[in-house]
Amino acid sequence: MNACHLFRDLMDEYLDGTIRDSRRQELETHARTCRDCAEQLRASRLMQDVIADAFGPRTAAREAREELLAKLADRRRHPIRHPGGLVVGARWAVAAGIVLAVGLSLGFALGRKGSAGPAPAQLPPPVPMRVAELAGTVLVRHEGAEVWRPLTPDATIHIGDTFHAAAKASCTLEVADKSTIRIDQNSMLILKSYNGETQFYLEHGQCQADLESPHGPFFICTPHGRVEALGTEFTVKVE
Amino acid sequence: MTDEPRQPAAADEQLVLATLQGEVSSFGTLVERYWNLVFALALTRINDPAEAEDVAQESFLKAYSHLRSLRRPARFAGWLSKITLQQCTNTVRAHIRWRMTFAQEAAEPADWEAIPAYSPNPGLTEAQTQFVRQTVGKLPKTLQGLVLMRFMAGLSAVQIAEQLGKRPGTVRVYLHRAYQMLRKDLAPLLEEVEL
Repeated sequence: MNACHLFRDLMDEYLDGTIRDSRRQELETHARTCRDCAEQLRASRLMQDVIADAFGPRTAAREAREELLAKLADRRRHPIRHPGGLVVGARWAVAAGIVLAVGLSLGFALGRKGSAGPAPAQLPPPVPMRVAELAGTVLVRHEGAEVWRPLTPDATIHIGDTFHAAAKASCTLEVADKSTIRIDQNSMLILKSYNGETQFYLEHGQCQADLESPHGPFFICTPHGRVEALGTEFTVKVE
Repeated sequence: MTDEPRQPAAADEQLVLATLQGEVSSFGTLVERYWNLVFALALTRINDPAEAEDVAQESFLKAYSHLRSLRRPARFAGWLSKITLQQCTNTVRAHIRWRMTFAQEAAEPADWEAIPAYSPNPGLTEAQTQFVRQTVGKLPKTLQGLVLMRFMAGLSAVQIAEQLGKRPGTVRVYLHRAYQMLRKDLAPLLEEVEL
């Protein structure tokens, strides 16, 4: 019992996981002859065991490894990112893009000398859709355009348009059969053409669809997958 | 668990570098090594074991896809722990937003009593498992992380300090503070169990 204070440090080392084999044997030998230290050692071991037990996962580590590797095998197409967020291939693509942009700018500047100016960009065909409600600042950008313009209640909507509802803003688009899709604040929705059909692509934020019944197949695409309408009212949210 | 320090940080470093060179199985070894830790960390914040496993998986996938941004591969476990806790925060926030979206009553994350406990080891009863989780859950967040790194990943105090970029003395002090609190609070349980 008098020697117990010598073993306090060993007990601490034991708990910290820094104890050496020889010192551990020393501690265990002492614990065999000292009831207090034996009890303390037992309690320490038990504390570790009950915590490991209570927080142990249902899926064993080896099984989790296999599951993760299977998922990663599916993701092989997406290589590991560089700190800047670009893969090697993407960096080359950016470099090539810069060279191309410089080339095009030069070509454009030279060509401009002998011409009256570039022809206005051709807008994609309009879609049978109108702005039913508008609140706050909602911006729209036509496909291929660089500038965002405020959406107006009488705006013509084209395929490829991107809508961005700022904070505290929203807009409702109405399609031919009176079904509506509302773009909530801080959201971005793109009208895409897919197999000749207009498709809604929610880039981020939230939108609410209210479909006239009966309705045909109706989808909202997101970066995470495609949502099919089963009822007449539903909300889609992309984090 | 063993008393000897295991899994030297250099081994993690080698596995990370091998993964970056395209050896995915090396990442599998890291998953196997830290699965218990990541799950336990998630469980302290999420409280739902099934969801904690999802968060653990997501955390590993995130770690894999951002592995090149890990500046010190030897500190993989510390980095992974931060990713896990961030993932937990995102999940909790998403839950709150989901509840608000669907106009349901915004409740606090489910309490331990409401979650059916399970134990991969039949050594603890359901009530005892809940009691241990509650007790660890009462520790300050910093201490929780250290205790789980120590007991679930088997990292020594020195290794934890390396992983977190802290001084070993600081980690020791924190760990001992946690041990004291745990011993005191778990005392009734430690009296009755024999694993």
